[in-house]
Amino acid sequence: MFSEELKSFRRLGIRHVLLQVLNFASVIASGLMIWKGLGLITNSESPIVVVLSGSMEPAFYRGDLLFLTNPASELYQTGDITVYKIPGQDIPIVHRILETHDLVQKKKEKRAGLLPRQLLLTKGDNNAVDDIDLYRGIDWLERKHIVGKVRG
Amino acid sequence: MAPTRKSANGGRDPRTPSPTRNDTASSAASSPERPAGPLSIATPPGDRDTVKVNNSNVTELKHACDDALKRYLSRPELFKQSHLHTDIRLALGWLSVFVAAGTALYGYKVEFEESKPLVWAGLLTYIVLTTIQSAYAYFIEGNIVFVGKRKTFSKRIITERITLSSTTVPAKKAKPPAYSLSLHYVRSTSGGKSLLAKGKTQGSTGYNAFFDGLGTMDQEKFEQWVGELVEQAMEGKSS
Repeated sequence: MFSEELKSFRRLGIRHVLLQVLNFASVIASGLMIWKGLGLITNSESPIVVVLSGSMEPAFYRGDLLFLTNPASELYQTGDITVYKIPGQDIPIVHRILETHDLVQKKKEKRAGLLPRQLLLTKGDNNAVDDIDLYRGIDWLERKHIVGKVRG
Repeated sequence: MAPTRKSANGGRDPRTPSPTRNDTASSAASSPERPAGPLSIATPPGDRDTVKVNNSNVTELKHACDDALKRYLSRPELFKQSHLHTDIRLALGWLSVFVAAGTALYGYKVEFEESKPLVWAGLLTYIVLTTIQSAYAYFIEGNIVFVGKRKTFSKRIITERITLSSTTVPAKKAKPPAYSLSLHYVRSTSGGKSLLAKGKTQGSTGYNAFFDGLGTMDQEKFEQWVGELVEQAMEGKSS
């Protein structure tokens, strides 16, 4: 099966082979870079995600694609739909924020222009209870657990 | 038998033509010190593989012509192909692929927030490399398909450089798509300091002259046409 191709490779020379492989590799490379660039621009680890469960119906159904951003300069508010990951769990979860508590900032942090630390509680629209069980031990979500806020 | 042509050394003693000439050469006469042209070096008939391409794809037709051109002009005793353009493209391209792969791997291994500065650096490097590569291909390389050099030794060391660029002339109402080839030829000596001959020719023929209905390429006809253009350029004509 490969003998035809080997014959033509030998005829065309090593440079030709390298060029062909390069074409293929650069397609993959540009795909990777576009993904990483998107992640950097939206400040989110994974800017496009798929909905896996039905816990946000009727807003989201299984299989829907979500576009996320994670603006570092905005506080999260009740009603925002966020995607978060519990450390130790692989699967990110998409639910709505129920409560936010903004902690009092130390003067140093306020001067630096950083946002106050927030503690968050979430619940799926279609679930009967909030997500405390899903948190596996921690009481509140913090910003660092959040992958992003749903934009579209 | 050797009328003086447009080359600069009209007054020298005519030298004997290169020994590989045979009577199928189109220009039997030679100006003094003129090295052999491609038409005078015959290809042994068993040497060719059949070339078959998709007739409706003009890009494939052009590439088939370009490859045939390269094979024809790189035969021993003829020009030695200079791979500079190809090598630069390969180097830039592979470098950008490795940068992209490294950045992606790093971003995968390291936590998102920490990895951000390096991932930015990698992304920007990739963009710069890709831009340089595209600019190089567009501005500097352009339509060039073959750059060749040859050094022959008659009385002095004669260096020749030939550059060929090809484009496809798209089909118009009654005319089929055509292959347009332009050559730039320079012959010099003493390390490039004294110019012996310079020629620029251009020719275009419809692809239908070289490819039959099934897509098989008539390489001899193509080589004949190319050989004539090259010999014209070697004479120092400009068209």
